[in-house]
Amino acid sequence: MDESVVQARIPQALVSVLGVESKPTLKAEAFTEAFLKNGLQRTPKCDLKSMLSHKAVVLDFTRPKKEKKNCKKAKGLNAHQKRAMKVFEIKPEHQRYELFLPLHQLWRQYIVDLCGGLKPTSNPNVVQQKLLKADFHGAVITVVRSKCPSYVGTTGILVQEFKHVFKIITKQDKIKVIPKRNSVFAIEINGFISHIYGNKFEHRASERSAKKFKVRGTIDL
Amino acid sequence: MAQNVKDKEAYQRLNYLYQAAHCVLTQNPENVELARFYCFTQKTIARRLVLRQDPSVKRTLCKKCCSLLIPGVTATTRQRSKNRKCRFTVMRCTSCGQGKGLLNNPDYCLWVDRPEAQLQHQMQSGPSTKSQPEDTKHDGSQSSKSGTAKSSPST
Repeated sequence: MDESVVQARIPQALVSVLGVESKPTLKAEAFTEAFLKNGLQRTPKCDLKSMLSHKAVVLDFTRPKKEKKNCKKAKGLNAHQKRAMKVFEIKPEHQRYELFLPLHQLWRQYIVDLCGGLKPTSNPNVVQQKLLKADFHGAVITVVRSKCPSYVGTTGILVQEFKHVFKIITKQDKIKVIPKRNSVFAIEINGFISHIYGNKFEHRASERSAKKFKVRGTIDL
Repeated sequence: MAQNVKDKEAYQRLNYLYQAAHCVLTQNPENVELARFYCFTQKTIARRLVLRQDPSVKRTLCKKCCSLLIPGVTATTRQRSKNRKCRFTVMRCTSCGQGKGLLNNPDYCLWVDRPEAQLQHQMQSGPSTKSQPEDTKHDGSQSSKSGTAKSSPST
């Protein structure tokens, strides 16, 4: 088959029928690359020779262990495996600011949805209450006050939230890790600015939705 | 009723996280880690608040490493048959190798699909917001998935 035929765009009439849209070239290329990388067979890491040289050969008879029972249950990874796989670490080549802009747009929509329009007339107390349980991944976040002066003024899109730390991607395509303790963050949505006191926020992102916040003490920074 | 109102925000959050994972993957198909993080958060929230999620959502998450399974991008889908009679759709996560087998049976109807009608009957008598976020979640997955290959889990 001719190569141009393969690469031709899907005609408009078929787009609605198939439910498939042809992507711009750059995006399509990224997808094919990822597909090839995942799809191709990996060469086995350890060949026979290295296996034999490392292990002693046992000539005694051993009953084969029953491992079926364990295999049946799909268990999650334990902490050791997670650390080895680097499950949540973002590779440096993916740290580009413009890749996260659509995420921010999505987040904006979500917050407006959550707060029911977010008009200037809406009660700030209610909005604050909702934001307490909301998700902040994808928000543009600014450090307003901090005990460490070098953190102040850092702005970026929040990428990951951990128990004690925010991971932020700045406009200079850098991931910054900012501890929650002893700093105050500001979030801006449609002119509504909300401050987050990091001292009170030292929970995991998932735990926050279940946790009850209590009024306790004051924060001076 | 009060329970439902409270849960609505949590469901919205789950919905957002699911969409965010899709959004990250459409931007950069190799950024599996971030999508996995969002799905992991989604899973833990659902676990903490004991929220039931739709099977169509749960079937696109890897059980082992919590990554989002999109055929061709982060997962492979194959048709496997056992003794020539029953065929399975096997979805395998490419990062951890965990497989997910679904029986191809056109007559099989999910439990959720069956009482769905019942739930709508209930809604006529007393309005419940519980089913609404799940619907929106479904839409979000569909819209962002349309660019990639589509799979038919139970046909």
